[in-house]
Amino acid sequence: MGFRRRRGQPLDGDDGGGVKGPSSALTSFLREQGINAEQIRQRYEQSQALEAANDDAANNIPINGSDDGNNNNDDNNNNKNNDTHIALNFALDSDEEEITDQTAVENDSKRQKTDSFYTPTVGTNLFCSECDQNFTVTPYSKKIEKSGRVGYLCPSCSKIQIRRERLAKKHEIEARKRRKKIAAALLDKKQFKLPSLQDFCIHVITENIDHVNALGEIGNHNKMKICRILAKNRSLNNKTVELFLDNNTTELEFWDCSKIDKNKMNQVASFCPNLVSLTLNMCGQFHNDNLQYFSNKLSNLKELTLDGPFLINDDNWQSFFESNTAKNLTKFHLKNTHRFSNDSLVSLLENCGNNLESLSLSRLDGLNSKPVYDLLPHFLPSLKFLEISSPHNENLIDDELLINLLSINCETLHTLILNKCSHLTNKFLVEGIKPFGANLTNLTLIDLDQIDDDGMNEVFTDWNINKGLTNINFERCISLTDASIYNVLNHSHQTLESLNLNSVKNISKVMFSKLSRNLTFPVLEYLDLGFVRSVDDLALAIISRICPVLKILEVYGDNRCTEKALVREDLTVIGRQTDSI
Amino acid sequence: MSEYVTLVANDGYRVVVSKKAASASGTLQSMLSEAFEEGVTGTITLHELDGPVLEKVAEYLCYNNKWATGGTSSGDIPDFPLPTAMALELLVAADFLHL
Repeated sequence: MGFRRRRGQPLDGDDGGGVKGPSSALTSFLREQGINAEQIRQRYEQSQALEAANDDAANNIPINGSDDGNNNNDDNNNNKNNDTHIALNFALDSDEEEITDQTAVENDSKRQKTDSFYTPTVGTNLFCSECDQNFTVTPYSKKIEKSGRVGYLCPSCSKIQIRRERLAKKHEIEARKRRKKIAAALLDKKQFKLPSLQDFCIHVITENIDHVNALGEIGNHNKMKICRILAKNRSLNNKTVELFLDNNTTELEFWDCSKIDKNKMNQVASFCPNLVSLTLNMCGQFHNDNLQYFSNKLSNLKELTLDGPFLINDDNWQSFFESNTAKNLTKFHLKNTHRFSNDSLVSLLENCGNNLESLSLSRLDGLNSKPVYDLLPHFLPSLKFLEISSPHNENLIDDELLINLLSINCETLHTLILNKCSHLTNKFLVEGIKPFGANLTNLTLIDLDQIDDDGMNEVFTDWNINKGLTNINFERCISLTDASIYNVLNHSHQTLESLNLNSVKNISKVMFSKLSRNLTFPVLEYLDLGFVRSVDDLALAIISRICPVLKILEVYGDNRCTEKALVREDLTVIGRQTDSI
Repeated sequence: MSEYVTLVANDGYRVVVSKKAASASGTLQSMLSEAFEEGVTGTITLHELDGPVLEKVAEYLCYNNKWATGGTSSGDIPDFPLPTAMALELLVAADFLHL
């Protein structure tokens, strides 16, 4: 094709100055290569002469067909063919204004049509820019731009071109989907990796969960996995919940009970009488009768977690706590209900307080009496886990209450979560945590804006009775600065597994360089530095180096972090602006 | 030591996969250690699995072998085709094989 194009190219070889029109890439290429019209004409004349000779000899092999496979097959009407092809050749690639080649003049009109009239009228005869076929322009003819020239395609080439474009579009969509998948995986805090065969199976099963009658022996952790996925897809309902109920089950977690009605809820207790641990989240349909039924049936129950049981009223809480089931409870976590009143808490403390090892009271707006909260230290002697979050009024939880609680439970307490108890001050740190927090491993103090450097430094400097915390969360403790945070990290850097300093905005760059020189975090796996604006690429590089097993690093709102940061391959950095889909 | 290992289903169906692919499964990998007969003979009989399931398992082993390394970020990994009817049976098998 190249040869023919070049030959057919009617070039103006005159480079000698004067006014020149715009030249295409091809023109300049030809000029560079030293190909000029004279050569081309000579070659053309030679071929013409040869052709004539061939015609005379009635030779059946077309000369022009040498680089066109089709021609070799059409030997029969050879002569005719040759004529058309000569004509076609000249109509090709005609982007020159001046034509010196005399033989090309006859095709001039057609050539000009392709060039200067970009929208030829329907019905005009043109040569296809792709296959050089003569065709009639229709409204459906495809217009294409090729190496700077605009041309039209014959119907068959149009079809191919349309198909090609459609395919390209499809590829583009698929590529976008894949990028989205990777970005989504990043948001889910996991690296995109090949799903396990179990994951594939679970995916298929959850898609077809309505057709499953029984899950069989798939292993308890797989069952729970399916259960969690169903809850996440909001497809845990009366029918699907049956799959998880059987006689041997001792542990159940339903993260979304909003579609499980009262009768079905009773079946949980009747089908699984051996339950030891039960978690019901979003259990707005959990009814007084259910709680009563549970207290009669679940004699082995030790751990109960309820989120949002707002149908249960004060009387029922009290009668539940007075039952034998409740008296065995070692773990009671309650969240999001305004019906849990002061009297309910008193009843809980009186009946279950002695055995309770794990207590969580979060967002309970019915609890609004300070004297009742002050009862906590008197009834809770063996706590290991304590959470008091988002009390109705921040004044309800004060330093004295916590100091009392800590002094009584100092032997056992390992987890202390006090989110949004904003009334707490340095006093609670210095007189509570420091002397009584010997066994603490998990300290979560979100939104305590009154504690500051003085208190923190006092606690974490020479705090030898505590061997190091594994989990620290000081999210939105906005009064803290480098001075205390460094001391905290200096105390616990050997043991820390998870650290959250989200929105501790006063941390500066200096701290990261100080950390870089002095500390390493050998077991830290999770770090949240969101909205700590001083975190930049350099800080990321430092963290990546001094935390060798860090898996997840969150940097939302830190707009100095870019994709250029030098971090380890296996460290997932989440929240950089440049990671957007 | 052969590069390949033969997996035998309870109905006698046999499939040969490379040792490297088979070691994606924790269970198979530990069976293939020198200390056990399976490791010496290079043949593992899986009484729990029947032919069709074993075939699918072997297919996954090869799929995993092909795609697990590299191409994690490129994302152009095809989905693993899985017949719906077999999903539960295969899940039991996958659970057993730690796959």
